[in-house]
Amino acid sequence: MKRVLSVILSLLCLCHLSALAQEDSLKANRYVVRSTLYGVGHTNILDTYLSPMEYSGMELRLLRESMRMTTLMEGNVSYQSMFQANLSLTENKAATGSEVAFLANWNQAWHYQFRLDENLKLMAGPILDLNGGFIYNLRNSNNPVQAKAYINLGASGMAIYRFKIKEYPFILRYQLNIPLVGILFSPEYGQPYYEMSLSHDWGKNICFTSIHNQPSLRQFLTLDFPIRSTVVRVGYIADIQQAKVNQLKSHQWSHAFMVGLVKNFYVFKGKRQVSMPSSISPF
Amino acid sequence: MFKNKIIISLCIFTSLFCSCITEDVPGNTPQGNFEALWNIIDSQYCFLDYKNKEYGLDWDAIYREYKEKLTPNMSNKDLFQVLSSMLEELRDGHVNLVARHETSQYREWYDSYPANFMDTIQRIYLGKDYVVSSGLKYKILEDNIAYVYYESFNSAVGESNLDEVLNELAICDGLILDVRNNGGGMLTLSDRWAARFTNEKVLTGYMCHKTGKGHNDFSTPIAVYVEPATDRVRWQKPVVVLTNRRSYSSTNDFVNKMKQFPKVVIVGDKTGGGSGLPFSSELPNGWSVRFSASPMYDPDMKHIEFGIEPDIKVDMTSEDIQKGKDTLIETAREYLRKHKE
Repeated sequence: MKRVLSVILSLLCLCHLSALAQEDSLKANRYVVRSTLYGVGHTNILDTYLSPMEYSGMELRLLRESMRMTTLMEGNVSYQSMFQANLSLTENKAATGSEVAFLANWNQAWHYQFRLDENLKLMAGPILDLNGGFIYNLRNSNNPVQAKAYINLGASGMAIYRFKIKEYPFILRYQLNIPLVGILFSPEYGQPYYEMSLSHDWGKNICFTSIHNQPSLRQFLTLDFPIRSTVVRVGYIADIQQAKVNQLKSHQWSHAFMVGLVKNFYVFKGKRQVSMPSSISPF
Repeated sequence: MFKNKIIISLCIFTSLFCSCITEDVPGNTPQGNFEALWNIIDSQYCFLDYKNKEYGLDWDAIYREYKEKLTPNMSNKDLFQVLSSMLEELRDGHVNLVARHETSQYREWYDSYPANFMDTIQRIYLGKDYVVSSGLKYKILEDNIAYVYYESFNSAVGESNLDEVLNELAICDGLILDVRNNGGGMLTLSDRWAARFTNEKVLTGYMCHKTGKGHNDFSTPIAVYVEPATDRVRWQKPVVVLTNRRSYSSTNDFVNKMKQFPKVVIVGDKTGGGSGLPFSSELPNGWSVRFSASPMYDPDMKHIEFGIEPDIKVDMTSEDIQKGKDTLIETAREYLRKHKE
């Protein structure tokens, strides 16, 4: 009797595993890599609507990222969603004025994956870049704040390299996002927000941007490595946001060091999620 | 080979996008701070051309004149004196230079004129039983005239506050709204107040802003209207607005708006002006500078930077002061008694 039962159980297990394997191969787009990183860094801000002087100081940054394969182009395209928020507390060189800056940024990128060999992937594709925030100058009168709102279409490239040092696995990733065309909100040269609130004509406040007046980029360098059953990610972000519209110049140059955790999931229907080993990854 | 090409392309692509956007600012020296201040005013101040026509202000000549007063090793205090004297040439109460040790201020716009307001005499009118509410002091005078004193457009008066006050004073035959010595504050409060004195949308002026560094680079002026405060208490009887030279900035804007309404009369002295919405900037040494950046006009597109003439010009007389009387309040009461509805 025991023999019969063990045979039945073995068969059931085999059936279950084969079903899972079949689902894995068919639903590669259900594998998701998610990470949440927290960071601290340094930022340098210029916004000539507020001041001709540069402000610099500390920055806190949050980065949430998820990546998964899609069924596009025979399953060779991955989708990346990246949300960042950074809060900066800065002051001018003479330490007489302060500015607080906040920027939230949501990127959605689709990368075609070139698998050059087992350990190296190069990826490239389009990116949609949404940004919103503000810079608040604590001592200005009727120009105390500059609103930040811009949308870009751009190009994104990524290189992912897997390697081992004495059998200890690492994943190194470099990513570069560059906006190519977009639209950006900006007041005119000396336009107060009070006047904007009275006017219904905001035509000159929505500006067309491209690389000639918005030479910006975001670069990410991350390193993943396991510690027991957890995957740790450390990284460096260079976030260079610049614009020159309506005779106003602005830049925010941020450099931040990040640390956080990576989780690999297989998403079932109905949003149930189970943790998956890091060896199965769209990353 | 393919890998190398991609990496080289990425490097070239990255370097192409690394052109920095920066602003050239002079160094933190007496000369550098002078240049920075002169440039800020030259490129952003909104009345250079108007004041050139009004009294011959020549900003280029001022550069030459004040540059001569600089020395490489001058103290901060001496530099402050030179820079604040240069700013005084603009004759603008909205222009200030702010350092740690001092704030410069142009005061001629009221110092050279009669005060036309004495709080000791105002106290006689208010007595001891006046009401204080959200920055307002008000009382019903013995001839059933309402007297409201509003001393700052920074005192946030809410819509409900105005409802309460105007409701309570509704039994009066007329209203004296005293904005003497009110140096301004928030323009939105000026709009909120004015909306209580009209039953229809009224054109009250125009506003524009600088679009570039040239002295005449201005946007097309936009019309500014006051719309009645719907579903709120609106005053329907005659109103006298009392003004003096220290009715400035947002108060000047408020007086301009009120002047367009048929049941409102302005009594007192010419307002102090201040029709340029002030912006701020700063110098390499960290001193802050405030200046008029965005001009506002009356409905005839005339500047009100140097004040608004009253409908009835009255100064406080020494006889009245000796008797403890406020000539302006008395003139307003007489007007309202004669124009009782």
